Amino acid sequence: MPQTLSTREANLFRTVIRHYEDKQYKRGLKAAEQILKRNPKHGDTMSMKALILNAQGKTEEAFALAKEALTIDMKSYICWHVYGILYRTNKNFDEAIKAYRFALKLEPDSHQIQRDLAVLQVQMRDYQGYIQSRFVMLKARPQLRQNWTALAIAYHLDGNLEQAENILTTYEKSVTTKPLRSDLENSEALLYKNSIIAERGDIQRALEHLETDCKHCLDRLAVMELRARYLAQLGRKEEAAKAYRALLDRNSEHPDYYKGLIDALDIPADDEVSLKAVYDEYAAKNPRCDAARRLPLDFLSGDRFRTAAKAYLTLMFDKGVPSTFANLKHLYSDAFKKDYLPVLAEEYLGEHSGRSSAAGQANGDSSKGEGAALYFLAQHYNYYMSRDLSRAMEFVDKAIELDPQNVDFHMTKARIFKHHGDIAKAAEAMDHARSLDTKDRYINSKAAKYQLRNNENEKALATMGLFTRAETVGGPLVDLTDMQCIWFLTEDGEAWQRRGNLGLALKRYHTVFNIFDIWQEDQFDFHSFSLRKGQIRAYIDLLRWEDRLREHPFYFRAALDAVNLYLSMHDKPQNGANGAGDVLANGEDAAEKKKAAKKARKEAQKAEREAAEKAAKRDPNKAGAQKSKEGEETKKKDDDPDGAKLAATTDPLGDAMKFLWPLLQFSPKNVDGQIAGFEVFLRRNKYLLALRCLKAALAINQEHPRVLEQATRLRKVLANAQDSLAPKLKEVIQSELAGVPGE
Amino acid sequence: MDIRLLRPSDIPLIQHANLENLPENYFLKYYLYHALSWPQLSFVAVDVSRPPKTPYDYPKIVGYVLAKMEEDPADGVQHGHITSLSVMRTHRRLGIAEKLMRQSQLAMVETFGAHYVSLHVRVSNKAAIHLYRDTLGFKTEKTESKYYADGEDAYCMKLDLGFIREQLRAESDDEDEEKKAAENGEREKKNGEAVDEGEAVGDVGRDPAKAESKKGEQKIKVKVGRALGVGELIEKVESKHS
Repeated sequence: MPQTLSTREANLFRTVIRHYEDKQYKRGLKAAEQILKRNPKHGDTMSMKALILNAQGKTEEAFALAKEALTIDMKSYICWHVYGILYRTNKNFDEAIKAYRFALKLEPDSHQIQRDLAVLQVQMRDYQGYIQSRFVMLKARPQLRQNWTALAIAYHLDGNLEQAENILTTYEKSVTTKPLRSDLENSEALLYKNSIIAERGDIQRALEHLETDCKHCLDRLAVMELRARYLAQLGRKEEAAKAYRALLDRNSEHPDYYKGLIDALDIPADDEVSLKAVYDEYAAKNPRCDAARRLPLDFLSGDRFRTAAKAYLTLMFDKGVPSTFANLKHLYSDAFKKDYLPVLAEEYLGEHSGRSSAAGQANGDSSKGEGAALYFLAQHYNYYMSRDLSRAMEFVDKAIELDPQNVDFHMTKARIFKHHGDIAKAAEAMDHARSLDTKDRYINSKAAKYQLRNNENEKALATMGLFTRAETVGGPLVDLTDMQCIWFLTEDGEAWQRRGNLGLALKRYHTVFNIFDIWQEDQFDFHSFSLRKGQIRAYIDLLRWEDRLREHPFYFRAALDAVNLYLSMHDKPQNGANGAGDVLANGEDAAEKKKAAKKARKEAQKAEREAAEKAAKRDPNKAGAQKSKEGEETKKKDDDPDGAKLAATTDPLGDAMKFLWPLLQFSPKNVDGQIAGFEVFLRRNKYLLALRCLKAALAINQEHPRVLEQATRLRKVLANAQDSLAPKLKEVIQSELAGVPGE
Repeated sequence: MDIRLLRPSDIPLIQHANLENLPENYFLKYYLYHALSWPQLSFVAVDVSRPPKTPYDYPKIVGYVLAKMEEDPADGVQHGHITSLSVMRTHRRLGIAEKLMRQSQLAMVETFGAHYVSLHVRVSNKAAIHLYRDTLGFKTEKTESKYYADGEDAYCMKLDLGFIREQLRAESDDEDEEKKAAENGEREKKNGEAVDEGEAVGDVGRDPAKAESKKGEQKIKVKVGRALGVGELIEKVESKHS
């Protein structure tokens, strides 16, 4: 039962809340204790105390106290609200929603509880619940435009486009004064409505709405792009062409605009002359435009290609554009173009060698002219579709001879070593390239990456430490983790895995996993933020992206690594919990392995320390850095920095599941994920799930040798397991297995 | 190369490019904060010539400009700010940085009515200074001593966007489409004569570390930086609204 306090204590209770809101936790606790001294069973005060404890990082204590408070006072909305907040701050949003619902039932008029609940609902994609919440909030304060927009968003997300549009229109009709042109919220709301109309498929109406209501919208680019698209979709080609021309005048480096214009002009795909003329017009208009010059190389053929390619390469070589090869290599799927480009580069060399070096020296830049052509040819012979590594080396050495200090040339030399399979030399060469420009982080990153490929984790971390923030407590690794540097964490993990340090390998993969959790939670604040900002289209884009966040190749790679590592741990159980099992080197006994791992760990720590020290020395603000170190909130201490606990798992296949499910859910069309899924499920005797992976893999690639081998293996395993299978399951498997190769 | 507006789904690879290229880094939420507050202002350069490896390939970002509007301009004048700009070393000399900047500047005026745009640049970064001053027309406002974490000074630079405002006014006054197109052509040509930005166009990021330490020393309220998440920024906004 809600308990009443004396006036004095009721006042005290209000100070508790105030202290909490002002983050004066110690004072808040003191006040709470005063109340509890006289009323030891006052649920609301206990809850507030729990809330403060939670804010102080004492999570367990807080939950225990909040639960006790609830058993004492089940009918207090404060107790339920606090319980919900505890769950929310600890990221258990499902439970938080439940608690908030109870709180709201007891106190239906609380705006704050309703608002918090709504945010949780959209975060958890409970659209039905969100619609309800936003409806109540709109009824409470219909004068706020945000509340109308929010309800429209709720319907939109739930797939009810018609209702979403109606809500927006209802608000518009209720407004009596015309919004100012400079009203950004209005401008964005109109464009949001326009996107809904188009999503409903009514392009004609979308165009009309755009040309009337959105005519003066502040996002000019959006209006122009949408208009061009709608006109094209409606077959109004002449106007569409005009609209695309206007866009090209704004930005001539966006290939879609050329495509839109060409479609609108009805130029047939094989009419190379007319197509080229379109691009030529913009090349002439924009002397520094790249797209208009390069894109025609995609469709031109024969002599027309020769002429255009020659003009383009000459221009690029004269300017010394280092990305020339990278921008053309996609043409190599065409054998004629693949063979002709190096011929052109050789021709250019013939015309420019000697001469250009003089010219190059005159303007002090030997990466232009001859150097650029040599660089192109080195990359050409280094590329997998046209590989001839000794010729590649020849060209890159010539380029280096021309300009011994050129970072790009040395970088390519390192790549050639890598393709030779000489990883150590590659790492060395890349580090040399780094030493030529120590102020450039790009080449520094590459050097570190190559060191990792060469299993030099300690050295790589020290290299990275040259650019990480010196004042970060814990050194470069902590900074790289804080800054969510996924590529480094993944490569570092892979290198540890090759070195047999399973603990550190798992640790890195789990860190990447956690970063994706953070990225998913990052949207939380935007549910209310974006309503205030009024940028609704960007917000909808964000939600849709977040919904498929883990399809990202960054996730896929680290997760697949983790699953495969867990598989190998299952197949070759490690003795001892030190995480030092060596998958590569056999013959070492456990003690030795343990010792090696310990040594590696020590080395890593030492390298980290040294890097931190070095960076600190470099930093003239060292004193300030020291200060911020002390001032910083104490972070939660990592109780497993080396991943020893992760490596000590007794259930590697179970642990793999956390990585595997998102792989299968979000990247089902990636054959490697399905292959890994099969292996895990087969070992867990989940035959139907294994079969599902197998069939998915076959649908992607019927000839994949691993998949075919898996098919044979599954049949064999099933034949042996016949008796242990439930008859119903056997039946399903039999029918599903029909059509799978390997019979 | 494809130069286009930033999308939220680009952000992991923008963050990747930033981490590869520059010492001033931010966590993902800080990029989101830009993308959701001023989605019209940030642009990316995408390498479109990479053959896709899986159905889930994301566009490879080789350059980006991350821009914002100053939330509480001290001078009371609406203006934009370049938080970070970088182009991969492998994709320099194509004028990407300049093109990204021009797109952003135009949108600053159109959507937010910006009067000028400001940025910080390392005093040693000759290539970037060349781009801002000589190609884009920025003026050095002042030098901020020890702005960067490693102790380097920054030039605080500004570009008056009046020329874009005038252009827009002229365009909207002018109903004659033909004439308008011709004018655009002229303008493009003029811009086209700009000098190549040459070497590294590195960081122009506001250094968060500096912002923080400043807070302590001079009691200036500067709420930007990598140690400060959107949470911080949102609270600020919230208090204004409530």
